[in-house]
Amino acid sequence: MSRTLEDFAMLSREHRATTRAAAILATAALVAGGCKSSGAPAQGESPTLVAYTGQATDYQINFNPFAPTRIGGTGTIFQTLFFYNIVRNDKPVPRLGSQFSWNPAGTQLSITLRTGVTWSDGEKFTAADVVFTLGMIAKNKGMNNGGYAGHAAAVDDTHVTITFDKPSFVDGPSVLGKTYIVPQHKWKDIADPAVAVVKDPVGTGPYLLDEFKPQAFTLKANPAYWGGEPAVKKIRYLALSGNQAGATALKAGQIDWQTGPVPDLKNVEKSYSGYRAVVTPLNQIVLDTCSNAALGCQGPQTDPAVRQAIYRAVDRTQLNALAFENTGSGISPSFLLPGRDKALISAGLRNPTAPMQPDVAEAQRLLESAGYAKGSDGIYAKDGKPLALTVKTVAGWTDYITAANTIGQQLKQAGIKLTVQQLSWNEFVDAKDRGSFQLIIDSLYQGPAPDPYYVYNYFFSTAQTAKVGAKPGPNVSRFSDPQIDQALDTLKHTDPADIAARQAPLQTIQTRIEQAMPYIPVLTQGTISVYHDAKFTGWPTSDDLYAFPAIWQDPDNAEVIMRLKPSGK
Amino acid sequence: MSYYLRKFGFYLVALWAAVTLNFFIPRMMPGDPVDILMAKLQQRGSGVDPSARRAYELLLGTHTDEPLIKQYIAYLGNLVRGDFGVSVSDFPTPVSTVIATSLPWTVALVGIATVLAVLSGIVLGVFVGWRRGTWLDSLVPATTVLSAVPYFWLALVLVAGLGSGLGWFPLLGGYDVVLNPGWHADFLGSALYHGFLPALTIVISSIGGWLLGTRNMMVSATAEDFVLTARAKGLRERRIMIWYAARNAILPSIAGFAISLGFVVAGSIVTEQVFAYPGIGSKLLQAVQNNDYALMQAIFLVITVAVLAANLAVDLLYGIIDPRTRTGG
Repeated sequence: MSRTLEDFAMLSREHRATTRAAAILATAALVAGGCKSSGAPAQGESPTLVAYTGQATDYQINFNPFAPTRIGGTGTIFQTLFFYNIVRNDKPVPRLGSQFSWNPAGTQLSITLRTGVTWSDGEKFTAADVVFTLGMIAKNKGMNNGGYAGHAAAVDDTHVTITFDKPSFVDGPSVLGKTYIVPQHKWKDIADPAVAVVKDPVGTGPYLLDEFKPQAFTLKANPAYWGGEPAVKKIRYLALSGNQAGATALKAGQIDWQTGPVPDLKNVEKSYSGYRAVVTPLNQIVLDTCSNAALGCQGPQTDPAVRQAIYRAVDRTQLNALAFENTGSGISPSFLLPGRDKALISAGLRNPTAPMQPDVAEAQRLLESAGYAKGSDGIYAKDGKPLALTVKTVAGWTDYITAANTIGQQLKQAGIKLTVQQLSWNEFVDAKDRGSFQLIIDSLYQGPAPDPYYVYNYFFSTAQTAKVGAKPGPNVSRFSDPQIDQALDTLKHTDPADIAARQAPLQTIQTRIEQAMPYIPVLTQGTISVYHDAKFTGWPTSDDLYAFPAIWQDPDNAEVIMRLKPSGK
Repeated sequence: MSYYLRKFGFYLVALWAAVTLNFFIPRMMPGDPVDILMAKLQQRGSGVDPSARRAYELLLGTHTDEPLIKQYIAYLGNLVRGDFGVSVSDFPTPVSTVIATSLPWTVALVGIATVLAVLSGIVLGVFVGWRRGTWLDSLVPATTVLSAVPYFWLALVLVAGLGSGLGWFPLLGGYDVVLNPGWHADFLGSALYHGFLPALTIVISSIGGWLLGTRNMMVSATAEDFVLTARAKGLRERRIMIWYAARNAILPSIAGFAISLGFVVAGSIVTEQVFAYPGIGSKLLQAVQNNDYALMQAIFLVITVAVLAANLAVDLLYGIIDPRTRTGG
């Protein structure tokens, strides 16, 4: 370093402008020497939890819990009435509410609220705040991202009833577990709350906003929190440039909690000293098929026999090892989660979980009985058309690209030709929405409660689909089946607590889905979170998944943070 | 005078063309902002209720049946008023705020690095060209190799070596986020410390071009008759080098420098990605990935205007420093 500086200094005698350059360089070098120690916490200070949510550019301040671009505070500053743990079949955990009940028809929801809760500005939290929040959502359609269609009324300070026009058991979790309650006295004067930028949030939660900078913001513990001041005193959320930068920061020990793939997962504890990883199976990796010729889909995948043949020909063990570092796990063709929904899986299914080993003979039998014949090139064909399919994925999604290529190799053994096409993110989203695809490697996600109803309603109901060319809801396969629609309707009218009454419709759906298979089950994806175990204790583990341990999942992340304790090391 | 009028007329037409392309090209991208937003929320695996799509369409106001030509006219009107609209990906922040928070970082980092690269490149080029045939000539291939190396690779190697390996420099960020940005020594020091490595990568990777260009011009300038005359007059070597040879040799570099200053605001997307540095480059990436038309348009406009302005400045300046360009034919 010093030699370079001398060279510059020599040159600078020759040329005036270079003197300035050298001065700047020299300053930088001095600073480089002098500033290294900054940032280390002082002795005895409670450690700050540093989280990286995947924020890829600078933050723009907005803590409005209803904005799609909110930057945080949901669960930590603002709270819901209850907490639903979607990874385990737990009862809803009371937060601002203490209990709730439905009338038998499912048209009235009575909620009892917690007493002794105050807003962070000292005002008392009452039923009026809940009624106000729900009324505001109903009035401002741009805020109503949970499909709320009820009328809330306060019975007294601690009791609220919500009436619905139709049976709405299944809408409960989104109202109770996903709607963040805001203070009436602060929000009633906001003219258009949907687009309001909330800069100093007032909530009931365990944390308060400490300071905001575009590159990072900090929350501090709320000493007046109704559940007692949390043990982690400060949380800092960083903005980095994406997952690559996240991995670098993790490697340097600069972040304590990150969700996303890490290289060499098996050796996390060795390569990141003091860190541990938790792999949570939740999203289901599938091949979306454009399945419904009646709604405009074209291609061999509109034939259920082809979809079944692909399902049989996939070697899931090999795929898991090659594409997913063995973080995937078994998947049920009923799309129930093998762990959480074990009790619900129908005995009438041919495979309760998809076979991990391929059955090429069975795949070929299915194709032959559907009228396909093997050509001289080893590829099946029907009416002179070879059985060739294209699977679309996003350029840069390395795990899905590897998976699609591996599946392509495996299907070749069974006489099916699969071409992988990588698209830009925007093209991919467009193709998926318009139905201009044959296959897409994708994943199905869960709803607001640990209940398979939501997966079925989102991805298999006629109401959530549309013709090819028009934009559907989540049901991009264009699948439509009257039996399933009817069973979903029955579930909508049945109290989720009435397990016996839900049995029959759930079984119908499972059977029909296994037969039709509009989404070809691949594996259940493991969501990987890496956390600093040596600095804080109390993290969720695979044995005790008290919340979905992903930093970007709210309000689960707040549930985790509330339970953490500095380890004192 | 007509020379300057012609120039201004040309730049006005160029500006209009750029502004128009700016409007139409982003709209040819597949998908719309709400699709992308929904897909992104779903990708996270958090249960997004299907009714959120309708809510977000209403909220972001993207569901519009207005014909493109009407939107175009409204866009031109807004531009004249300096209203760039609201960013969809940072909703509901105005685009001007988004740019105002990120542009200073880029201008400071890339600006200083460009100035350093150009100055050191030109100075070294003048020396190497003057002393041609000596060991100094080996600087040319050495720096050219560094320019030819893919930038991201060079940056990652420096990060791995100086950042991770030796621990001399921080790996990420624009400053130590514990500090509050402001005009005080702690913050400025931290910002300089964090900016050093990114700036170094930019200087290393671009110095070669400047050096080579100046050196070659210098070689041909020293062969000119006026240098011979100066020698014959018995002037000092240094005076000939600087006031006779170099003064003529650096003319093309000055033009190149002004244009590269225009590109400073375009930032360096790769630099900002590798170093997680705050700046306009990462905002541009965000805008493109989210079909955020308003933000994209505004950033492209800033870049276009800066480049055009730099070109105009060079054109005008050239008329003065090199009178030959003013006379027609």
